[in-house]
Amino acid sequence: MSTATDKQPLPARRPKRSLKDRTTWLSDHIRNEWRLYLMLLPTIIWFIVFLYKPMYGLQIAFKDYSIFKGVAKSPWIGWEHFQALFSNDQFLRAVSNTIKISALNLLFGFPAPIILALMFNEVLHAGYKRAAQTIVYLPHFISSVIIAGIVITAFSPSVGIVNTVLGWFGFDSVYFLTKPEWFRPIFVGTGIWQEAGFGSIVFLAAIAGVNPSLYESAVVDGASRWQMMWKITLPSILPTIIIMLIIRIGNIMEVSFELIILLYQPATYETADVVNTFVFRQGLQSGQYDFAAAAGLFNAVVAFVLVMFANTLSRRYSRTSLW
Amino acid sequence: MRKLLLTTAIAAAMVATTPVVADGHLKIVEGDPLELTIQMNHRAYPVYEESWPVEQTAREWTNIHLKDVTVGANMKTDSENTGKTEALNLMLASGDIPDIVGSSRIKDFVNQFGPEGAFLPLNDLIDEHAPNLKKFFDEKPEIAAAISAADGKMYYIPYLPDGKYGRAYWIRTDWLNKLGLDMPETVEDYEKVLRAFKTQDPNGNGEADEVPYFVRQWPELIRLVTLWDGRSSGSDTYHDFMVEDGKIQHPYAGEGYREGIKNLARWYKDGLIDAEIFTRGSSARDFLLSENLGGSTHDWFASTSGYNKLSADIEGFEFKAMAPPASPSGKRIEEHRRIPIKPDGWAIGHTNEHPVETIKYFDFWFTEEGRRLANFGVEGMHYDMKDGKAIFKQEFLDAGPVNRSLYQVGSQLQGRGYFQDYGYEIQWSNEFALEGIALYDEGDYLIDQFLGVAFNAEEQKVYDRYWGSIRDYMLERQQAWILGNGDVEADWDDYTAQLEKQGLGEVLEVMNSAYKRQYGG
Amino acid sequence: MSSVTLSDVEKYYGPLRVVHGINLEIESQEFVVLVGPSGCGKSTTLRMIAGLEEISAGTVAVDEKVMNRVAPKDRDVAMVFQNYALYPHLKVFENIAFGLRIRKEPKEHIDKTVREVSEILGLTPYLDRRPAELSGGQRQRVAMGRAIVRHPKVFLFDEPLSNLDAQLRTQMRAEIKRLHKRLGVTSVYVTHDQVEAMTLADRIVVMNDGNIEQVGTPMELFTNPANQFVAGFIGSPPMNQFEGTVSANADGLFASVGNASIALPEVNNVQHGQAVIVGIRPEHISIHPVDGLPSIPIALDLVEPLGSEALLHASIDNQPLIIKAETHGDIEHLNSVSELYAPTDLIKVFDKDTGAVINSHPTGRIAS
Repeated sequence: MSTATDKQPLPARRPKRSLKDRTTWLSDHIRNEWRLYLMLLPTIIWFIVFLYKPMYGLQIAFKDYSIFKGVAKSPWIGWEHFQALFSNDQFLRAVSNTIKISALNLLFGFPAPIILALMFNEVLHAGYKRAAQTIVYLPHFISSVIIAGIVITAFSPSVGIVNTVLGWFGFDSVYFLTKPEWFRPIFVGTGIWQEAGFGSIVFLAAIAGVNPSLYESAVVDGASRWQMMWKITLPSILPTIIIMLIIRIGNIMEVSFELIILLYQPATYETADVVNTFVFRQGLQSGQYDFAAAAGLFNAVVAFVLVMFANTLSRRYSRTSLW
Repeated sequence: MRKLLLTTAIAAAMVATTPVVADGHLKIVEGDPLELTIQMNHRAYPVYEESWPVEQTAREWTNIHLKDVTVGANMKTDSENTGKTEALNLMLASGDIPDIVGSSRIKDFVNQFGPEGAFLPLNDLIDEHAPNLKKFFDEKPEIAAAISAADGKMYYIPYLPDGKYGRAYWIRTDWLNKLGLDMPETVEDYEKVLRAFKTQDPNGNGEADEVPYFVRQWPELIRLVTLWDGRSSGSDTYHDFMVEDGKIQHPYAGEGYREGIKNLARWYKDGLIDAEIFTRGSSARDFLLSENLGGSTHDWFASTSGYNKLSADIEGFEFKAMAPPASPSGKRIEEHRRIPIKPDGWAIGHTNEHPVETIKYFDFWFTEEGRRLANFGVEGMHYDMKDGKAIFKQEFLDAGPVNRSLYQVGSQLQGRGYFQDYGYEIQWSNEFALEGIALYDEGDYLIDQFLGVAFNAEEQKVYDRYWGSIRDYMLERQQAWILGNGDVEADWDDYTAQLEKQGLGEVLEVMNSAYKRQYGG
Repeated sequence: MSSVTLSDVEKYYGPLRVVHGINLEIESQEFVVLVGPSGCGKSTTLRMIAGLEEISAGTVAVDEKVMNRVAPKDRDVAMVFQNYALYPHLKVFENIAFGLRIRKEPKEHIDKTVREVSEILGLTPYLDRRPAELSGGQRQRVAMGRAIVRHPKVFLFDEPLSNLDAQLRTQMRAEIKRLHKRLGVTSVYVTHDQVEAMTLADRIVVMNDGNIEQVGTPMELFTNPANQFVAGFIGSPPMNQFEGTVSANADGLFASVGNASIALPEVNNVQHGQAVIVGIRPEHISIHPVDGLPSIPIALDLVEPLGSEALLHASIDNQPLIIKAETHGDIEHLNSVSELYAPTDLIKVFDKDTGAVINSHPTGRIAS
C-alpha cells in the first residue's frame, strides 16, 4: 500500500558558477529583492548602533578609565579590575546570591506562567476567563517602585496584611524585610506575582495554536481533560517552553535589579545582594565605570556560556533550539 | 510657565528702572557684553534659566551674560545624588565642557578631573583678579584647605551655607505634660519618657500603637549612639569618617558605638523604636505625626517645626525641640550641624577663553551687592532694604515656600559659588524653630566637623578598592545587631577583626595621609 | 449489529438554526454518506452523532439507545478528521494506540491490536516515524488506524479526503470502500464531493440548508432526484434545467422553451400553460436523430474534449445546457452540432414554485 507521492525527486545538483556569473547573480538578486533588504535595514542599524558599537566601550574593563580622557586614551591596566573583583568576598557572595535567586526563580517562577496558562485554558466561561486574565496581567504594568511599596506595606510588622493574618493564628509579627532568610522567598514570590500573568500570554498563544481537532479526537477517544492537558496541550507547547527556558537561562545573571535595590537593606545584603546591586553600589554610584564594566563583562560571559550550554542540551535531547 | 514669564517681564521692567548700582563699579567688561556658557543641573532647577531676574540683574551689573548649555538635565535625586553625577558625567563624556560648570556634589568631580586637565586651577586667578574671594579664603584658611584637590589647588568656588543648626531632637511636649513627665535631660530620662509613650497611651485611643522614636532616614536611628558617647558620622554625610585627636577614625569602629548599638538593640526589642524603622522611609514623619502616633524624632529645625500646625487637627499637639540628652558620662552633643562648606558650587572649564573675566564674575558674587543678590533676589522686587538689612517683601513671603520661590527667581542656587546669609532663612522660620535654635545656641552642643579630604590617584585607588565593601559590612552588622540577629557584645571582636581583614587599616592610612597633606595635621 | 437513528434532530447556535429537524435511520453495517454544499449542516450533524456538539432538540440513538446525554467516549463511536488530528509529538504506533492507552487496555492487547491494524493499513514500516515524516496518504491511514483500532460500533468520517490531491483521493476512496467491506462497521461519512458520495455510499443523504433533500441509493438519486436541488447536485456535470411552459397537442405534452418545444413524458398533474422546469441529464441527450423525437435547435458555445467523451456547452433560448457526447476519437464533427434530441422517458419535470419533481419514476433507464 505504498503511495506514489512518497517518492520525492532528487534535487538537481547546482552547477558551479564562475565569479562573473556570481556577481551578475548578486546584482540581479539585489535589483529584484532590494525592498526586502530595505525592510531589514532598520533592524541591522539598530543592532549596530545599540549592540555592536557599545561593545567598543567594553575595553574599559581592562583600563583605568577616566571619562575626561575617553575610552581610547585611558591607560591599559590588564586584569586588575577582575583581580579586585574576585578577591572581594562580597562580590563572590553576590555571584552566589545571584545564582541562588535565579535558581529559585527558575524553579518556581518559570513553571508558574505555564501552570497559569494551562489553568486559563481550562476555564470555559469566557467572561470569567477574561476577568481573571486581566487581574493577573495587571501587576506587570505597575512600576517596580509601586510594587516595592506594596510589598513593604504588605509585610510591614505593624500594619501589614501578612502579619495581621499571622496574628489571627497567634503568631508573633515578623519584620520580614530585615530577615535575610525571608528575602529570597519574598523577592521570588513578588516576581511571580508581578510577571506570571503576563508571562502566561506567550504560552496561551502557543496553546491557541494547537489544532482543536486534536482535542476533539481525544474526546471521542475518551480522554479526560486532565489527560488532554498532559498528553496534548503540554507536549504541543513544549517547543515554546524550551525556547522560553533557554532565554530564561540566558538571563540568569540578570536579576530584576530595581526591585532588589528597593527592597533590600544592609540587614539583608547577606542574601539579597546580587552582582548588579553590588556593581551599582560599588561601581556606578562612585563613578567607577571601569570596575562596573568588568563586573558586567563577567556577567555577560557567564550568561553566554549558560545559553550555549542550555541550547546544546536542548538541541540534543528535545530537538528544539534557538539556533 | 506663564507665571515665570510674568515674573520675567516684571523683572525686566524693574531692572530697567532700578537705580541701584547705576555707577557701574561692578562692570567686568566694557562695551559689548561677554557671553559665557554654563552647565547647571539641580532637582529644583534642571537648567540655568537665562530669564531669572537675578541673572538679568547680574547681567545688568557685570555685563557678563550666562548662556545655558546644560546637558543631561534631570530632576532625579536620591540620597546619593546619582542624578547630578550622571549629568556631570554625561557632560564630560560629550567632550564639551562649558565655560562654567555649576552643580551640587561637584567637589569630588572637579578634584578628580581638575588635575587631569578638565578644569582650571583657581588659586592664581583668585590671587590676581578676585580680591573678595582672596579676602574670604585668607580669613578662613581651613575652608581653602577643605576644598583643595590632592595637588593642593582649588578647582571650584563652593556654596558656603550660613547658620549652624540643622537637625535637633524633637518631642511631643503635650504628651510629656499629659503623662506628667519632665523634659528629659539624660539618656536614662529619655528612655523613661519613650517607655512611657509606649505604655501609657498618651494619644488616648486605648491602644499601645504609639511609636516612641521614629525617623525618616534610618541612619538617624544610628545617630542615637551619641547618647552613649558613640559617634555615627563625622560630617553631615551619613556614615562618614571623623577627626579624633587630630587623626581620622571611623565612628563605627569605636567603643562608644558598641555601647550605643547594644542599647539601641535593647530599645528596639522593647518597642521604643519604630518597628519598621528601616523601611518606613521618607513619609514616616508625615504619617506618624498626622496620625498622632509618633513621639520623638531627630530631624531638621525648619521643616519639623512646621508640623505644629497639626494642632488644628489634633487637640493640644505640640512638637518642640529638646536639648540633646546627656550621655552616661555627662556629655551632651548634637552631632549634626550645617556644614560650613558644601561640596557644591561652580568651576571653570578648561576650554574657557576668558578665565580672568570668569573669576571676576565669581568674585562678583562675593561682593556685598552680589551676595545680597544671591541670597535675597532683586531689591524692590523681592526684598527692601530696612536699616541696612534686606527684608523680604510680605507678598513674597506669603507666596509659598520661600526657598522654592527663591529658586524660581535664580537665588540661593547651590550650583553657584556664594556665601549664604542666614538672615534670609530666619525671616521665614517659625517660632518653634527659632525657639529650638535658641535652646541649642544656649547649650552649645555642636561639635567640629570633618570637612573631607582630596585623594591623590594612589590613595583614591586604595579607597575605592576597600571602602565600599567595608561600609557594606558595617551597615549589614549594624542593622543585624539592632534587629536582634546577633549580639554586638559577642560579635565585637570578630567584627573588628573582619574590618581589619577587609582593609580598614589601609583606608584609614590613606585618609590620614591625605588629611595631613591637606590640613597640615 | 448496530444502527444509528436520528429523530427530529435540530441544532441551534444561539438564535441561528443550522439543522432543521433531521430524521434518518442508518442500518447496521450500512455506509451512509451525508453530502451537500458547505454550510448545509452535514458536519454539524456528524458531530452531534459523535457527541462533539450538543443536540439542541430531538434524539440521536445508537442501537436504539438514546445518546443525547452520553459522553462521546461512551458512545462507542470513532471519528476520522479532515486534518487527521494526529499528535505531532507521538510516533505512528503511539498515535494509533492513543485511544487504547486512554482506556488503559492491557499492554499486550494494545501491542497486538495496533500491529494488526497497521498490517491492514500497510503502516507497519512506519510505526516508528512521527506524523511530520509521513506523506498525506500515510497520515490519513494513520488517522483511520486510530479509529479502527478501537473496534467501535460506528465510524464517523468528517471529509477525510479533502486535504489530499485528486489522484490520492481516488486511491484512498477505494481503500475506504475495501476497508468497509472487510470490517463491516456502520459508517457515516460526510463530504461535499458528490463523486465521493456516489462511489462510496450504500445510501446517500443529500442535505441543504439544514434539511434533508433526499435519501436514497446513489442510483436512485441519479435517476430519480426528488427535486431540483438534488438534480442539480448529483451527477457530473449535473442535470440541465430549463424553464418552459406546458402545452399539449395530439402527440402528447410539450414544453415550450423559447421557440423550441420539448416532448414531455406522461404527467398527470400539470395544466396547460403551467410554467415548469424541464430537466435532462447531459449524458441522456442525443445529438443524433432519434425516431419520433422532435429536433431541438441549440446554439453551440464551445466543446471540451475529455477523451472518449466531450462536453458541449450550448444554450436553448439563452438558457445554458451541457451535453455529454461520445467523441469516437474525433471532436471535429462535434463542432457543427446544431440540434439535439431529448428522450422523453428520461426527462424530469419539476414544479417551478416548489422545485419538487412532478413525474417520479419507479425505475430509471440509463443511457449507455
